[in-house]
Amino acid sequence: MARLLAGLLALASLNSACAPPHAAGTLIVASKARIDSLDPAQASRSGQLQVLSALGDPLYAITADGTIEPRLATGPPLLSADRLRARIPLRRGVRFHDGTPFDAAAMVFSLNRFMAIGTLGYQFSDRVQAVRASGPLEIELELKAPFSPLPRLLSAIFLTPVSPTAYRSHATKPLNDRFVGTGPYSLSFFNGQQQRLTPFPGYWGARPANGGIDLVTLSNSTALLGALRSGEVDVLLASGLEIDHQQALSRDAAAGRLREGSGPPLSIGFFSLLTDQPPLNNVALRQALARSLDRATITERVSLGMRPPLRQLIPPSLPGSDPEAWPAYDPAAARSLYRQAGYCNGKVFSLPLTFRSDIPSDRLLALTWQAQVRRDLGDCLELQVSGMESTTAYDQLGKGALTLFFYDWIGDYPDPENFLAPLLGCEKAEGNRCAKGNSALSGSFWSAPGLDAELLRSSRIDGPERARLLRAIQRRSAAAVPYLPVWLMAEQAWSGRRISAPQFDGSGRLRLDQLRRLPEARR
Amino acid sequence: MSRRSDLLRYLGARLALAPLMLWLISSLVFLLLRVAPGDPIDALLGPKAPAAARAALRHQLGLDQPLPVQYGHFLGDLLHGNLGVSQASKEPVTSIIQGSLPASLELGLVALLIAAVLGLAVGFSGIARPEGKVDLAGRLFGIGTYALPPFWAAMVVQLVFAVWLGWLPVGGRLPATVLPPEGSGFYLFDSLRAGNLQQLQGALRHLVLPASTLGLLLSGIFTNALRLNLRRALSSDYVEAARSRGLSETRVVLRHALPNALLPVLTITGITVASLIGGALLIEVTYSWPGIASRLQEAIAQRDYPLVQGIVVVVAALVVLVTVAVDLLVALLDPRVRF
Repeated sequence: MARLLAGLLALASLNSACAPPHAAGTLIVASKARIDSLDPAQASRSGQLQVLSALGDPLYAITADGTIEPRLATGPPLLSADRLRARIPLRRGVRFHDGTPFDAAAMVFSLNRFMAIGTLGYQFSDRVQAVRASGPLEIELELKAPFSPLPRLLSAIFLTPVSPTAYRSHATKPLNDRFVGTGPYSLSFFNGQQQRLTPFPGYWGARPANGGIDLVTLSNSTALLGALRSGEVDVLLASGLEIDHQQALSRDAAAGRLREGSGPPLSIGFFSLLTDQPPLNNVALRQALARSLDRATITERVSLGMRPPLRQLIPPSLPGSDPEAWPAYDPAAARSLYRQAGYCNGKVFSLPLTFRSDIPSDRLLALTWQAQVRRDLGDCLELQVSGMESTTAYDQLGKGALTLFFYDWIGDYPDPENFLAPLLGCEKAEGNRCAKGNSALSGSFWSAPGLDAELLRSSRIDGPERARLLRAIQRRSAAAVPYLPVWLMAEQAWSGRRISAPQFDGSGRLRLDQLRRLPEARR
Repeated sequence: MSRRSDLLRYLGARLALAPLMLWLISSLVFLLLRVAPGDPIDALLGPKAPAAARAALRHQLGLDQPLPVQYGHFLGDLLHGNLGVSQASKEPVTSIIQGSLPASLELGLVALLIAAVLGLAVGFSGIARPEGKVDLAGRLFGIGTYALPPFWAAMVVQLVFAVWLGWLPVGGRLPATVLPPEGSGFYLFDSLRAGNLQQLQGALRHLVLPASTLGLLLSGIFTNALRLNLRRALSSDYVEAARSRGLSETRVVLRHALPNALLPVLTITGITVASLIGGALLIEVTYSWPGIASRLQEAIAQRDYPLVQGIVVVVAALVVLVTVAVDLLVALLDPRVRF
């Protein structure tokens, strides 16, 4: 054993003597996300979108304070009188990483390619009828209907343009292991676990503050935590980290051992209630359930205070936010409603609750709520908790097999429409039942007369009128309780003491170009 | 009939059965995947994609075709050596396997070497004084390493040597600053061939913890197997006969008892190799080792049918080949084996 330890010590000393040096200013950023493809047409997961945000530029970007600024566009979309045509002026002097000039033809090629083969192609093709070049540096979008969140949709990084030269032979098929765009970095190496980003010398905007980024994947939370603490990586993205590890890193940051940064909270965690079958087809029981959830306790016990309580479906940083749309925790009111439904007087309402078994915090949440209910309303309600693997649960959800199910949602681009429509939209409603559409796929099967028209209208109007309508839709939904919002989640990152604090943009992406090694403090 | 022709007949029968076995395994996997709950469309698009987009993707992936038609396509492609394209990444399954199988094999082979050397050394160490302190320690080592939960052991080793002491990296196959060597996917071999010391050192340092942990966990099997078989051999008639001829105890053990005691160990080695071809999932996940087992796990979670089928078929084929090879080797080395 002594010899073994001596050998390991020798290896360790060899390491410090011969560790491969970092290229000047190059930083290592770790996350749990394995990247299968860097084709924007294939991008739907947060890891892919994060890398693409450094390699490509969108037409518009949402800044950290929530304002929309043109990037490859030079101004806001110019709408026709009927709001069915949008002209977008494009930036001059931009080049792709392969030297191809960026122009209207390149943008049209990229958008048409995305509509044809994009995994999230429906996000664009559901709104846009056609794309054409209306000038050498101007494109025109023909919309299917007026669509007020158009600039927010065009801020989605999966709509970033790709070089028509590099993608000529991949116009109708994905190109997974290369990316040729216009962003501040070009891709110099790619595999699923490692990507190397090098500053693009011909970039039209400000040069990155670092000499390049090495992105690495570590597949478990302990390894990620250990890699940052041991200095093996410079920056760590929170997605995939267990909640107690996140808390440990936050404590390190509070003690000055690390630096911490958070993006805007754009992800919501909520329960879906099956409203078209007993027992939750009884609205009084759903309303009672809404008042039985002690969000403050759950947030504190489960997320250790890192996920703020949420009583609406729209993240508070977006228009139409209504922070108190859903009722607050009120056990007395809940008891009264359970009594009206015939429970509490020696009869306990037994309700199955399903959580995603592969998400550790979901299990904690379910067990904590179960214990809280037992403590406060044990004579009225009993939650029967069970786990189910995510992919199986999503399949069962749309089949109406899950009475009460916890999961989360983040819009593909930050706009209220991307939160309400996927949860409340309905193609075929029968009274208060949604027989076909997003509401059914989301597991609630709830709709209301005129609700879909209101949702549609909310995507056509703008400003205070839109915000009012969105709040009204939320209030209407809150009264029927097809969903039960629980908490908000934001992307977080930590960096070593000698690295600048992580900064995020308004879409929740870590600004890799802003990370830099800080000069060493004088002794 | 001669022993050689018996052997050839046995080999022929085993190899002839291999395609049947592979067909059964691949068909079973094909059916089980489709019977199991969960939808690849949910895994790819999430639960809230519109019905039209879901239908379009289902059609694009061929999942809207009747099951017998899908099965026919699968078998036809398989017979032509085409394992299909991953539904999630659109990358050919063969390329994905070529990228991840060498990682598992490299880890498995080094771990097996560590396990064999360590396990046999410990198993042999107590032979001088059976039931003595060394023998007892060896027995405890064998039981202890075999009984250790792999995930827990790997995490403890990782925490101590990578996080607390910082001697070795926490995971991965190479430092983030070093690009992988080109070639076979066996980084040690490729970096040696390229003469790139930086890659070689990086690959070695990243291999130490996962291979040592896996080797330690497997070593108990070798320890116990050698201890038991060596003790049995040492009490057998032919060993007594050797002793009565006045041979030294060292010669008796090394020339007579040990070769016979190692024959069952060879069979165990074969079984261990076969089990390692499919990767050591818990070790791969803990050390972020991009091997075939972690790839299979991801593919199952994503309901990536072609990738799961492809990995299972390739791993099954390799396991069949290794099993046949080990059986033959044992038969060649042990004249007592009959067919």
